[in-house]
Amino acid sequence: MIVAFAVAPVVLVTLLIGLRGVAAMRTTSDFLVASRRVSPLLNSAAVSGEYLSAASFLGVAGLVVKDGVGSLWYPVGFTAGYIAMLALVAAPMRRSGALTVPDFAEARLASPSLRRLAAVVVLVIGALYLVPQFRTAGLVLSVVSGTPYWVGVAISGAAVSATLALGGMRAATYVQAFQFVFKLLLFIIPAIWLLVQAGPGVRDEAVHPVEFTRFDHDTEVVFRVGATLDVPEGARVVEPDGGTRPVPPGEWQVPAGSTVVFEDGSPVPQLRGEAAPGAAGWERPLLDLHDEGYPLLGTWAVLIATMLGTMGLPHVIMRFHTSPDGRAARRTAALTVALLSVFYLFPGIYGVLGRVLVPHLYLSGATDSAVVALPAQVDDGSAGTLFTGLLTAGAFAAFLATSLGLLLVVAGAISHDLVPGGLRQLRVAVVGAAVTVVLLALPAARFDAGTLVTWGFTVAASTFCPLLVLGIWWRRLTAPGAIAGVAVGLVATAGAFLLTVSGPPADGWLAILLVQPAPWSVPLAFATMIVVSLFGRPPPWSTAAMLRLHLHEHRTSPFADRSAVARDLGHSSWTARRSSAVRRITRRLVR
Amino acid sequence: MTGRRVTVTSPQTRLAHARRRYRGRWRPTTLDPAEAPRAVALYRVQLRGAALALGLLLTLIFGLPLLLAMWPQLVDVRVLGIPLAWLAPVLIPFPAMVALGFWHLRRAERAEDE
Repeated sequence: MIVAFAVAPVVLVTLLIGLRGVAAMRTTSDFLVASRRVSPLLNSAAVSGEYLSAASFLGVAGLVVKDGVGSLWYPVGFTAGYIAMLALVAAPMRRSGALTVPDFAEARLASPSLRRLAAVVVLVIGALYLVPQFRTAGLVLSVVSGTPYWVGVAISGAAVSATLALGGMRAATYVQAFQFVFKLLLFIIPAIWLLVQAGPGVRDEAVHPVEFTRFDHDTEVVFRVGATLDVPEGARVVEPDGGTRPVPPGEWQVPAGSTVVFEDGSPVPQLRGEAAPGAAGWERPLLDLHDEGYPLLGTWAVLIATMLGTMGLPHVIMRFHTSPDGRAARRTAALTVALLSVFYLFPGIYGVLGRVLVPHLYLSGATDSAVVALPAQVDDGSAGTLFTGLLTAGAFAAFLATSLGLLLVVAGAISHDLVPGGLRQLRVAVVGAAVTVVLLALPAARFDAGTLVTWGFTVAASTFCPLLVLGIWWRRLTAPGAIAGVAVGLVATAGAFLLTVSGPPADGWLAILLVQPAPWSVPLAFATMIVVSLFGRPPPWSTAAMLRLHLHEHRTSPFADRSAVARDLGHSSWTARRSSAVRRITRRLVR
Repeated sequence: MTGRRVTVTSPQTRLAHARRRYRGRWRPTTLDPAEAPRAVALYRVQLRGAALALGLLLTLIFGLPLLLAMWPQLVDVRVLGIPLAWLAPVLIPFPAMVALGFWHLRRAERAEDE
């Protein structure tokens, strides 16, 4: 039911808007960067629409329920990234004239191997970011409507690849801008409704957190993935026939796919390795990763990863290339900060209400669905169903908008950077990449979306962030230095993730630095790039290539009066345009 | 009189052809030397501006958690019933970042307009 009412219109509108982009699609530039004709306001709405993924729409509120108020630092890092982008990257990046990040790398450093390496990094980030989007789409649909997991994955894969293959970036721009407005309304209105409808009792409980120790009504918990619970004395579950039975205290392995109904008043089992919502430390506005006891380090680590990662996310950078000039790209970044700031005022409301109304979701690891589960708890009539439908539609819009941008950069990396080809090949690459990601997402139901997305941010922060910052602001960067830095960043983050997943257990600050390697992997990548570059020699045109990025487009050219220039330099204008002349002039100006 | 045909080129052309040329898609970036001083000036102004904006941003988003860690009792201070420490990560950084963004944007554009 809810699928038909909530998801079908979103998918249909996406496809219809996508069809608008089909007209006048002739070149790679049309496909990848919408012919660079997107105004700052439309572009910033599209950037925000693309950026507010499932992780923002559902994930932040879910993390607040699970880990506490400190999770509100994630959105701060997400937004701060755009200030860094505005100050360091947006305008010079657009002026490079590149279509993709690998394009930029090659334009600045003239190295085809760096281009290929950058394309591989784009694929890694794309996969880390896309798989959780599709996975969460499947999970949310199965939570609200009971469809099998693969249905949601397949629906989103089909809608996204059809829109993109037909309309490319132009379609993606309109769809993402529309979906930003859509998401904003569908997030704010239900939040206010929930606050009003919840009543003074719930509101008071929300701001006085207590640990979740006792069920206050018969609570159904659906375990989509298996869980290990520590059952306390006196826990009781309701049998399907209506009778109740006690659960033996101690460890309880709940198999995947089972549904357990806990009785009203029964004590709450403890999920192995997680603190219950509302437990000591929940109310502290700092992020204690893995409850290791270093809240400040954890908060800073997350802030570094999200802020610098945003600056290196290839699909976000690609959106800046659709601006007509560097100045428009900069305005886009500033407007994006404002649009995101409005949206991020609200996830906390869902989080603190979710702790009161749906804390049991933490038992099955499904706190991601707290946002869509809330309306039914407040109102079990038609209003509740309506708002569940609205929030599901918003969440689905979030998956679609983000996946559109990501799929486009993945297709661009394959078909523009790795195996250069034309428009037809780009369209095939889109469909091929979508099929691959759907196949990857099908067995990925048990992976935590937040973890994968944060890894994507960390990889971006340790590879593209140093490449872009040094490429734009440091003339001595060399291609070998850039390659070494990107490779070291990629290997360091991948190694840390492998150690977290399969390595020996670590504790204390070491565990935090393994779970969230950004605080050391980003400086390491920067240092490698700088040191290796200092051992080499930048090419003669390197200063000109860097300075060119900072020269704005609409200026009165000194070449308007050619004779004056020729006289000043004592040469003909063509000799004067040689890089040796630029070198001579800049030698005394730039060290 | 033989039928042999020889290429006749100016020494300048021969020199130009002998010089290494960049093949493939990539061409070195050109910068008009007459514009170089302007580019250098812009680069310096924007670098200083970006460093200042980033410095303020880092002070804000790394300093606020530090303050909250130093005064954990802020959780007990309530504004309209809501703990002050819960409002801090939402109501302080976002308006501040919007203001910082537009402030930096104006300065960066003004530098280019001069």
